[in-house]
Amino acid sequence: MDQGNTAFVLISAALVLLMTPGLAFFYGGMVKAKSVVSMMMLSFGSLGLIGVLWVLYGYAISFANGGSKTFIGWDGVFGIDTSFIGLGAQVEDALKPSGAYPSLAFVAFQATFAIITVALISGAIADRAKFGAWMVFAGIWATIVYFPVANWVFNFTLADGKVVDGGWIVKDIGAIDFAGGTAVHINAGAAGLALAIVLGKRFGFSKGIMQPHNVPLTLLGTALLWFGWFGFNAGSEVAADGVASLAFINTMAAPAAAMLGWILIEKIKHGKATSIGAASGAVAGLVAITPACASLTPLWAMVLGVLAGILCALAIDLKFKLGFDDSLDVVGIHLVGGITGTLFIGLFGTGVGLLQTGSWNQLIAQAIGAFSVLFYSFILSLIIGFAIEKTIGFRVKAEDEIAGIDTVVHGEEAYAFGSDRG
Amino acid sequence: MSDTTMFLIFCGALVLFMTPGLAFFYGGLVRASSVVSMMMMSFGSIGLIGMLWMLYGYAISFAKPVDASFVGIPGVLGISLNQIGLTQLVAVHDTSDGVDLAFAGFQGTFAIITVALISGAIADRAKFGSWMLFAGLWATIVYFPAAGWVFNFKITNGVVTEGGWLVKDVGLLDFAGGTVVEIASGASALALALVLGKRFGFRKGMHAPHNVPLTLIGAGILWFGWFGFNAGSELAADGTASLAFLNTLAAGVGGLISWALYERIAHGKPTAVGAASGAVAGMVAITPSCGFLSPMWALVLGLAVGVLCGWAIEWKFLLGYDDSLDVVGIHLVGGIFGTLFIGLVGQVGGTAVGLLQTGNAAQLGKQAIGVIAVGIYAFVISYALGWVIQKTVGFRVKSADEIAGVDLVVHGETAYSEADPRWSWKL
Repeated sequence: MDQGNTAFVLISAALVLLMTPGLAFFYGGMVKAKSVVSMMMLSFGSLGLIGVLWVLYGYAISFANGGSKTFIGWDGVFGIDTSFIGLGAQVEDALKPSGAYPSLAFVAFQATFAIITVALISGAIADRAKFGAWMVFAGIWATIVYFPVANWVFNFTLADGKVVDGGWIVKDIGAIDFAGGTAVHINAGAAGLALAIVLGKRFGFSKGIMQPHNVPLTLLGTALLWFGWFGFNAGSEVAADGVASLAFINTMAAPAAAMLGWILIEKIKHGKATSIGAASGAVAGLVAITPACASLTPLWAMVLGVLAGILCALAIDLKFKLGFDDSLDVVGIHLVGGITGTLFIGLFGTGVGLLQTGSWNQLIAQAIGAFSVLFYSFILSLIIGFAIEKTIGFRVKAEDEIAGIDTVVHGEEAYAFGSDRG
Repeated sequence: MSDTTMFLIFCGALVLFMTPGLAFFYGGLVRASSVVSMMMMSFGSIGLIGMLWMLYGYAISFAKPVDASFVGIPGVLGISLNQIGLTQLVAVHDTSDGVDLAFAGFQGTFAIITVALISGAIADRAKFGSWMLFAGLWATIVYFPAAGWVFNFKITNGVVTEGGWLVKDVGLLDFAGGTVVEIASGASALALALVLGKRFGFRKGMHAPHNVPLTLIGAGILWFGWFGFNAGSELAADGTASLAFLNTLAAGVGGLISWALYERIAHGKPTAVGAASGAVAGMVAITPSCGFLSPMWALVLGLAVGVLCGWAIEWKFLLGYDDSLDVVGIHLVGGIFGTLFIGLVGQVGGTAVGLLQTGNAAQLGKQAIGVIAVGIYAFVISYALGWVIQKTVGFRVKSADEIAGVDLVVHGETAYSEADPRWSWKL
C-alpha cells in the first residue's frame, strides 16, 4: 500500500462530496426565494439516501466482477457481488490492503459520484416536486440506472494498458470516458429530460420570467463545484501522476474557455454578459471535459471548452421551443455538454481521434457509449417517474406551487429578514 | 505516483478556489446593485487569464534561456516558444511523474487571482468589457514577465544559479509572491483608482457593505485557499512547507485580532468586516515571508500589519483616491511591509539574514529593490493601460448608469429578487 496514493484518493473523495452541497447552492440560487429550501433538500436528500444505498449494495452492483465466486448476474451488464454487500470484503481488505490503496478509499471516492449524479437530476423539477416522491425516485433510479451504468463505464481491469475485464461499454465497445461523461452527465441529463416531461411545466413557464433569487449563492455553488471537480477529474486517475496532472490542468483550461464562450454568445444574442451565464458556462466546460480530461492537450481542451460553452448556451433555449420545463437546464448543460465532450474524444482525442488517426472507430465507440446510456436512462426514468406520478404523485398541488413549496413541503422559510421584531 | 504531484494538484485546486472567494469577499462589501458586476470581474479573470496562461503565460513566466526556442532577454523578458500551449510539458506527461505539468497549473492560479485582486479598486463604476481588456493586457505586460523575475529560478546546492533578475541578480527573498502578487496588484489598483476617479458621494462611512456574511464566506475561502498558496509554494510537502502552513495560520490570526482591537480603540467597536480584513492583511504580509520567519515572528508580523493596514485604509479619504475596497490599504501596504519584514528578522534555512539579528542591512536593501521595482513597474504600466482604455473605449460607466446600479446596466441582472413576477398580483 502507498500512503500517498491513499491520501490522493481520500482527499479527492472529500472534494467530490463537497460538490453536492455546491450543486445545492448552484441550483438553490437560481430558483425563487420560496422554493430554495426544497431545491437544496433535493441535493441534501441525495447525500443521505444514496450514501446509505452505496454502502449497502451500490458498490456491490457497480464494481461486481464476473470472475468472482460470489457473483450473481450477467457479467459486464448487470450483476452483484454478494461478498461486497455492506462492504464486507472491503473492510477485510482495509486491514491489510492488497493494492496501491485500500479498496475502501475507492469505495468512498466512487460513492460521491453516485450521490452527485442523482442530485444533478433534481434541477429539472425545480419549484414543483414532492420531497418524498423525489426520495423514492432517487432510490429506485440509483439502483436500476446508476449502479449498473457505473459498472458499464467505471468498472474495468487494465493489463498492459488494455482493458481485459469490465463493463460492456468500456470493454466490448471500447469507449473512452475518463471521469464520467456518460455515466454521470449524459445519465443525469437524460433522466432530467424524462422527469421534466413527467412533471410538466410550471405555472407561467416562459422565457425570462424565472429570475434567480440569489445570484451570489449560485456563484458560490459554481465555485464549490469547480473546486470539487479537480478531485472528480484528477482523482479519477487514482494516482497522482502525469495523467492526473493533465486532467487537472484541463479541468482549469476547458471551463475557463467555456465561460468566455458562453458569455460571448450572450453578448452577441442579448447584448449583455451575465454572471449566471458565466457560471453556467464554467459548469458546461467542466461537464464537457469530464470524459475527455486525459485524452486532450490543454489547447484542445480549450477548443472543447469554447465549443461546449457556445453549444450549451444555445441549447438552453431549446426548452422554450420544444416546451419541456427543464427548469435549471440539466438537459442543456449536462446532456448536451456530456455528449459534446464524449464525442469530442472520437474526433480530436490524442492518438485516437478521427483527426489524428483518420479512423472512425473511436468516434463510433464514443457514440455507442453516449447514446446507449442516454436511451437506457431516459426510458427507465420515464417509467419510474410516471409510476410515481400515477401512484403517490410526484408534483405538488397547484395551490401549493403558487404558495411556494418551502412552507408547504418543508415547513420552512429560507430567509426571515426583518421579522425578528414582529 | 508522486507525492509532489499530489501536493501541487491539491494546492492548485485550493488557490483556484481563492478567486471565487475573493469575488464573495469583494461582492459582500459593495452595494446590492453592483455585486454582480463586482463578482464578474473576478470570474471574468478566471476565464480570461486561465486561457492566456495556457496559451502563452507559462511560456513567458517560466521561459528558460537554455531552451533552443528561447527568444528575448534572459531574466527580464522572454518566451520559450516550445512551451506555447504547454506543448512541451504535455508531450512528456505519460512518461513523467507529472510534477512540471501540475506546477504549470498551480502557477496559473496565481496569475488569475493577482489580476482579480486589482478589481477591488474600481467597484461600482467599471465597464465589464473594458475590465476584460485591461485584465488581458495587464497579465501579458505586467504579470507574466514580473512572475518570471520572482518565481522562475533554479537552485543548485542552495544557491540560485538561474532565473529572473530579482531573485537571481538582486537576491530578493519572496516565498509566495509578496511582490509580484500583492504589491503588483496593489500598485495597479492605485493606478486604476486614479484613472477612474471617485464614485459619487465618495466619503467615509458612505459605502456600507450590503452582505456581511458573503464577505465572511469569502474571507473563509481565501484563508482556506491561502494554505495552498503559501505552503504549496515550497513545491514539496516538507518541513519548510509545514513552516509556511503554520505561519499562514499565525499571521492570519494575528491580523484578525489586531485589526479588530485597533477598531475597538480607534472607533469604539470591532466590526466583522474589520476582522475579515485583518485576517486578509495578515496573510498578505506573510505571503512573501512565510518560509523565512519563525511562527513567533509571523505572529508579530500579523499583529503589526493588522494595525498598520487598519490605519492605511483611511489614507484614501485624506489623499482623495477612491480605492473602493482597500486594495492599496491591504495588498500594497501589507505586501510592502511583509516583504521588508524579511530584511529585518528573516532567516533562510536557519541562517539569519535580517538587520535586527545580523546588524547588516544588505538583505533589507535587496527587499527594498524588489518592492520598488515591482511597485513602480506595475503602477506605471497600469496607469498607462487604464488611461488609454479610458480615452478610447471608456473604462468608467456613464454617471446615470452608476447611480442606477451597474448590475442591471452592464449585466442585465439583479443579484437578489424576492418577489415572484408570476403571481405578484396575488401578493
